[in-house]
Amino acid sequence: MRLFIQYFCLAVTLQLVFSELLTINGFQPNIILLFVILSQMSQPNTPKAVITGFLVGLICDLILFTGTYLGLSSLIFSICAFIASRIRFNFVFRTFDLYWITTLLIGIVVYCLFRYDFLFFSNFFLFLKNVISISLYSIFVSFILVKLFSLKRIILSA
Amino acid sequence: MINAGLFNEKSLPVSTLLICIFLSILLIFSSENEKVQSFRVYTADKFSFLYQPFNWIDNQFFLMKRIEVLASENLKLNLENQILFSNELENKRLREFLDFKAKRDHNFIGSDVISKGTSSNLNAFLINQGSNSGVKKNDPVLSSKGVIGKIIAVSDDHSSVQLISDGNFRLSVKIMPSESEGIMRWKNNQICEIFEVKKTAEVNIGDIVLTSDISSYFPPNLPVGEVVSIYNKLDSFNKIVRLELYTDLSTINQLFIIIDENRE
Repeated sequence: MRLFIQYFCLAVTLQLVFSELLTINGFQPNIILLFVILSQMSQPNTPKAVITGFLVGLICDLILFTGTYLGLSSLIFSICAFIASRIRFNFVFRTFDLYWITTLLIGIVVYCLFRYDFLFFSNFFLFLKNVISISLYSIFVSFILVKLFSLKRIILSA
Repeated sequence: MINAGLFNEKSLPVSTLLICIFLSILLIFSSENEKVQSFRVYTADKFSFLYQPFNWIDNQFFLMKRIEVLASENLKLNLENQILFSNELENKRLREFLDFKAKRDHNFIGSDVISKGTSSNLNAFLINQGSNSGVKKNDPVLSSKGVIGKIIAVSDDHSSVQLISDGNFRLSVKIMPSESEGIMRWKNNQICEIFEVKKTAEVNIGDIVLTSDISSYFPPNLPVGEVVSIYNKLDSFNKIVRLELYTDLSTINQLFIIIDENRE
């Protein structure tokens, strides 16, 4: 629990750094989504993981200013926490990076479906461009963070 | 019976997920509710101290660059001001001559951006002016260059601004000098599209786009952007005009709210 709170504070700080200082062309990586995915990978109790994801999302929507939709982060984090906690341990050991990247991408696509709903119907190419831009930036930053903080080792030993 | 089916050990994870999805969607669809919006701004208001160190760093980083840009803009505006002053005198004289009603000046209040939101592609800002300064819901918000959005929720000391880049934002605009009117909607980056412009309207690249006279919340003639391209729709009597906003939404740190004391 202590480790969870420590990393949550770190994720919030990093998210604020990226949102205030390192936004590129309006795009920013979702660090808290990465935190939810990685923290729930070692959670064997799926209902607990889903509720954690939902509550973290609600806190983010209320405390951090996430825009006009309340509940969008809760939706994305619940789905991603569910997927993350269903993973088999052996599978995580071999394909750790592939797993968190896939889950992150699912979260980003759900986010974009709500954020760019009007583009989805009127200009699908532009919608796809936005999805790819956010995905690439998120994966790039997340990959650096995972390697920098040796998160694979921490998660597998949890 | 139903409880046993929904919450047995095997289906409990999926049931929990479905309940969370249902609650989240319920929250998303209640986002427009006034009470929910007020509560959001109230909580953001209480936790606004989280952004202060980052705003301070941001200001320090770009201070010199900003001073440089402002100095050159100041010089340009001084020169323009001299021309406008002589035009104003002439305009006043002509309006008096034609017995026109005097135009009303706008009341502006300045504000700093507290947060640009922690989600990709800005659709709302949190600013440090609220109902204590006279800010009301639907007040127009401008940068030093033009319209950027409107107030959607207000607390005592903070407000939430819906930006032009929000998918749900619409603005009634007119294209000068032809005065063709249309409805503007954001497309991407600094580009917006104006719909409902008649095919017969004479619109050219480089024309200026201003707020129209029929908008409920925005006063007329506020600058919005400049026409960059025009498309004819084959299956319609209208054409689509694409414009570039005067303001780069990603670099705004200070903005202005037009206060209308007469509006409830």
